[in-house]
Amino acid sequence: MKSLLDFSGDAFLAAFFLYCLAFVFYVIAISGKMWKKSDPAAHLKRWKVISFTTSTLGTIAQITYFFTRWIGGGHIPTSNMYEFMSFLSMMIMVAFTIVYLIYRTAVLGVFAVPVAIIVMAYASVFPQEVQPLIPALNSIWLKIHVTTAATGEAFFAVGFAAGLMYLLRTVDFASKTKKAVRAQRWVEITLLSVLIIIGFIASVFTFRAMGYEAVFKQTIVTVDSQQQESSKIEEVKYKLPAIVAPYDSETVKFDSFLGMSKPLFEAPSWMNGANAGRKLNTVVWAVISGLILYGLLRLIVRKSLGAAIHPAMDGIDPEDLDEISYRAIAIGFPLFTLGALIFAMIWAQIAWSRFWGWDPKEVWALITWLFYSAYLHLRLSRGWQGTKSSWLAVIGFLVVMFTLVGVNLVIAGLHSYAGV
Amino acid sequence: MFQNTKCECGHQNHVGTVLCEYCGKPLNDAEDANEPLEMRYDGVARKSQKANPSLIDKVWNFFSSVKIAVYLIITTLLGATLGTIFPQESTFINGDPSTYYEKTYGTIGKIYYTLGLSHTYTSWWFVTLLVMIGTSLVICSLDRVLPLYRALSKQQIRKHMRFLTRQKVVYQQEIALTGSAEEWVAQAVKPLRRRHYRVHTDGSALLAEKYRFSRWGPYINHIGLIIFLLAVLARGIPGWYMDQYIAFPEGEVKRIPDTNYYLKNEKFTVKYYKDSELPKEMQGENRLIAELYETNAVLYECVEQCDDPSKKPVLKEVTRHNIEVNKPLDYNGFMAYQTDYDPTLRLRSVKPEFRNKETGEVYGEFQLEMRDSALSYDVGPYHLELKEKYLDFGLNEEGQPVTKSQEPNAPAFLFLITGPDLAKEGELYFYFPLQIDKERFDQEALNAKLSGDFAKKFEIKVNGMKNVGLSTTSFLTIRVDSAMPFIWVGAAISMLGLVMGFYWNHRRIWLRFDGKQLTLGGHTNKNWYGMRSDVANLLKQMNIEVDAKSLDNGGENR
Repeated sequence: MKSLLDFSGDAFLAAFFLYCLAFVFYVIAISGKMWKKSDPAAHLKRWKVISFTTSTLGTIAQITYFFTRWIGGGHIPTSNMYEFMSFLSMMIMVAFTIVYLIYRTAVLGVFAVPVAIIVMAYASVFPQEVQPLIPALNSIWLKIHVTTAATGEAFFAVGFAAGLMYLLRTVDFASKTKKAVRAQRWVEITLLSVLIIIGFIASVFTFRAMGYEAVFKQTIVTVDSQQQESSKIEEVKYKLPAIVAPYDSETVKFDSFLGMSKPLFEAPSWMNGANAGRKLNTVVWAVISGLILYGLLRLIVRKSLGAAIHPAMDGIDPEDLDEISYRAIAIGFPLFTLGALIFAMIWAQIAWSRFWGWDPKEVWALITWLFYSAYLHLRLSRGWQGTKSSWLAVIGFLVVMFTLVGVNLVIAGLHSYAGV
Repeated sequence: MFQNTKCECGHQNHVGTVLCEYCGKPLNDAEDANEPLEMRYDGVARKSQKANPSLIDKVWNFFSSVKIAVYLIITTLLGATLGTIFPQESTFINGDPSTYYEKTYGTIGKIYYTLGLSHTYTSWWFVTLLVMIGTSLVICSLDRVLPLYRALSKQQIRKHMRFLTRQKVVYQQEIALTGSAEEWVAQAVKPLRRRHYRVHTDGSALLAEKYRFSRWGPYINHIGLIIFLLAVLARGIPGWYMDQYIAFPEGEVKRIPDTNYYLKNEKFTVKYYKDSELPKEMQGENRLIAELYETNAVLYECVEQCDDPSKKPVLKEVTRHNIEVNKPLDYNGFMAYQTDYDPTLRLRSVKPEFRNKETGEVYGEFQLEMRDSALSYDVGPYHLELKEKYLDFGLNEEGQPVTKSQEPNAPAFLFLITGPDLAKEGELYFYFPLQIDKERFDQEALNAKLSGDFAKKFEIKVNGMKNVGLSTTSFLTIRVDSAMPFIWVGAAISMLGLVMGFYWNHRRIWLRFDGKQLTLGGHTNKNWYGMRSDVANLLKQMNIEVDAKSLDNGGENR
């Protein structure tokens, strides 16, 4: 079975590179008019076929990865963060393919495919080995709940991509009015957030390739039910250079990095959860590398990133983008309700004896649902189309990502098996 | 204020009507207005649009507003986030919440607790918000669905010209008719039917409509949500809801409090992953990761002598089930879930012998259960009577023996022994089955004090581990939740409504001829892209080439 898992890993890599290639092709497809070709329409038609074929091949490769890993691992690969995130990226591509087949706009590929690529790269940060299932996860409802919820979320991701495109298309980057400047700034912050995620992935892979390691010993004091304090010493391993050491810890091993031979700070005392120091250090690194990436890009384009992308969106009907964003969310909403709430409730009822327990993950799924319900109700009101609704689509996907990643990173709960 | 609600077509409309219910003429707009019409609820008057509202009307109007509904949703959403900042009280079984938050999180924790956020989801304001959302669901739906139903069930085929030209999808053109307008209209029926439209014609006018049922989707969804919320509230009905967390040591029958049921943990097994089955980075760390744990449970119902503590209840087995995580026992809605386990072995029973210390003669053995111990034992010629039992032996401040808990942590038994060569009234003897307790509480000294020489000559002692019964403990959640069927029905109805509302759209195409001039209007509740493509397709079938996008008459894309 080992060889099957290896093959599965190869298919995953193939999918990744095909997506990257597809992204480049989609960019070529829509930027044809800038090359002053004699026949832009023919150029677009030709490259649309090429890029869509490539992205579809990538999707097929990832579906192959998914099923071979399922057979090889003996259970559906959605039980840890690596497996879940790669499944999510696969469903984003499936959702993209469906929406593309309805609207046939190449420009959607320029934004939706990178979202899938980033989610997929993010998945690769986590340990890839097939892990043993704990009894609670050994249920048919796990498969149904997780896959349906991820499908709904994938459509929200497409809605996010289209919403962001709408903003990049319609925000007036030349204007100096207060309203325009505010819109420009928020678009820039959104792009920066995406870069921070890319920065996180990049720094993890860089230091992994360098084999970096630092080890700390941390004394963890816990108070048990009889109000007795007990302490135990835990070893915390860092794979990124420790800017922030765990609270109340001593250094065991520290590979030096750029002349830095000891941590610069210690985590505050209230960050005393499991691996809280390491998580904080990871966040610090993500922000630093994101800012470096942003700075580099600014140096290259010499204007705000939004203003740099804006011209590429010329000639695209913003109303189409608005429609695509709304449609994707409308398709995703029932799926999300079914997967993230109803199936989750059925599983919780069987596994934990109650369909709802106000576990942080459950609450955040509900928050996501309430957010998109508000979006759908607002869409029916006057004045909530276009810009406002695109912002909601962007924020909505941030809520989704917080539910999927942030809750595990910041708040622990019953779903903590999917640890970061 | 007097308002003339009679349309020029002669139809008398309700107050608040936007579009004439009969011909569709916009009633309130200026004659020269030309932006697309407000088509929500087909322009009918909603129930809340009354002149001179009374107090009840005002409450009704408040809850019937979608704006209020959105505010309620957003407030609930923000309120819910507060409860995820720190763990909720309900999630920890041990510990005192009043000190826990301050101790763990400092001042912020104290504020959190003082504000009642440690039980956000049962706080009055959160429950109030949920009840208000429920009210809003009912009133918003009733306010709209009845007038909408009325409007859609009696539609006019030939609509007012301004109704058509002010749709979001419009086409108006002189047609080079080869026959009559009626013939043209008759020909248009076929391609529309092919696209699943129901077509109604009236001379040179036509109405094509499809998937009207999708309009009921939101309301069906709301009905489902209301049933769901009511079911949650119904758990407050006595007897509808029970939730208990009980430890079941292996081999023991335990009564489930407040019920007639007894449950026996016949056997508890836990299977761990082998080290070789763990991922490489976890190997060699002596990690115990459970692959499976299960309780072989037997459920009994008490049939006689149930509430008389002096008599042993008569139990009848009703069902047996191997309870695993994800595989609860279910007996007519009485559920038992595998929740946790304690692999520490606890003493369940011993089989000690009664012997003469000086001669080494063994008079016999007897079976001593820690729980449900028999009150008397015959061992050879001797008779043992159990006078006192302490499951968790200890001495209080006056030096009197007491039991500290009902768990067999340090069991001790006080026997009165009668038989040959003993004092007539018998001899008292303390027996500690566990060696550690025997030494800790000094059994010999205790017995010497109680009965002098007797304890030097006789003893009760376990001979070998084979005579010791140990057991693990399984923790089960016992639950009855009679609201569950309603919860699932509510969820299913809600889901049905969502699918109806989101995966189909209600599309209508109206057209009329005035001489040779064709005027066409199209409306959908969602997905204008699909609407335009339907109209473009119809025109194409009628040999009119038109770019789908050009049919768009502007206005908002709802």
